[in-house]
Amino acid sequence: MVGGTWFSLNVKIAAIEKLNEQGLPLDLGKTIAVIGVFLILFPAIKSFFINDLTNAIESRNHHLEDTFSEAENLRAEMQKLRTEYEARMAQTEAEARFQIQNQIKEAQNLRQQLMAEATERADALVRQAQLEIDQEKSNAIAVIRTHVVDLTLAAAEKVIGENMDNEKNRRLIADFIETVEVAS
Amino acid sequence: MADRRVARRYANALFTTALKYDVVKGVEDDLNSIVGLLDNDPEFREFVIAPYTGRDQKIEIVERMFSDRVTALTMQVLRVMLEKRREDEIIGVRDEFVTLRREHAGVIFAVVTSAREIEAAQRKALLAKLEQTIGKKIEAEFKLDPHLIGGIRVAYGNYVLDGSVRGTLSSLRDRLRHDLLKQQ
Repeated sequence: MVGGTWFSLNVKIAAIEKLNEQGLPLDLGKTIAVIGVFLILFPAIKSFFINDLTNAIESRNHHLEDTFSEAENLRAEMQKLRTEYEARMAQTEAEARFQIQNQIKEAQNLRQQLMAEATERADALVRQAQLEIDQEKSNAIAVIRTHVVDLTLAAAEKVIGENMDNEKNRRLIADFIETVEVAS
Repeated sequence: MADRRVARRYANALFTTALKYDVVKGVEDDLNSIVGLLDNDPEFREFVIAPYTGRDQKIEIVERMFSDRVTALTMQVLRVMLEKRREDEIIGVRDEFVTLRREHAGVIFAVVTSAREIEAAQRKALLAKLEQTIGKKIEAEFKLDPHLIGGIRVAYGNYVLDGSVRGTLSSLRDRLRHDLLKQQ
């Protein structure tokens, strides 16, 4: 500052003088003094403003870096979870498909079993019905035959009774006497 | 109600005594006569069986009726039975006496049933054949049963020799029914 002031008072430079004459005053000494003041005040400025500003910037940068890092972590974790979810989904789908296939197979087996049982039962019923029909038929035929036998014998009895006389009766008795045998 | 056990006891005692004194035939004839009178004379039967007739009165009348017609042994048995109020056992005593006599003599009693009257010659031939085949003497009672249609049926002990038309037809009916049942 002192040098600037001295320079301003003692040094005359033609170019500067010419500028002053043209209406553009330039005081080089003041400029140098201002620069000197600036250089002297710079550490204080740096101490009070620039450091804080730098720290704030760095803090902000750190914060941003942490935020990005956290976001990255979250993204990675999300990705991992997504992968796990997809894997689980795939496994669940596979299990579901397996279960469905098993259920379908079991249902088909059950259906076949039920069909077989129903068929067997129906066959048994048909066989039983056929047996009963045959039995009823046999019974009916037997009853008819029995009636035929009874009617035939009744007719025979009537005919024999009408044709029986003393002579025939005597011959019957004679035959009995001739052929009679006694059980021992 | 006649009690066969009581009749059997009286008959047994009577037969044993009659056998001892060799009057079996006479006692049996006496019993047959008395039973015949009981069967054919309702008035006499009423008098003997009726519980309201006095015991002494019964004995007196019976003695007056039979004392000179039956053997002393028969009269004695009659008297005892009337005294003991066993008059309703008289027929049973006769039956049991006859049974005992037949058992003792080894005689078989047979009932010969025929649809028509059998000629005497045929009766004789029949009895001869039966005695020959059975190997024992036969006493036969001949009965008529038009239901037999023709022929005869001989029943003795637990046996029946059926030579009647009815029996033949029944046998044929049974055989035909048996064959029908076997066919089922």
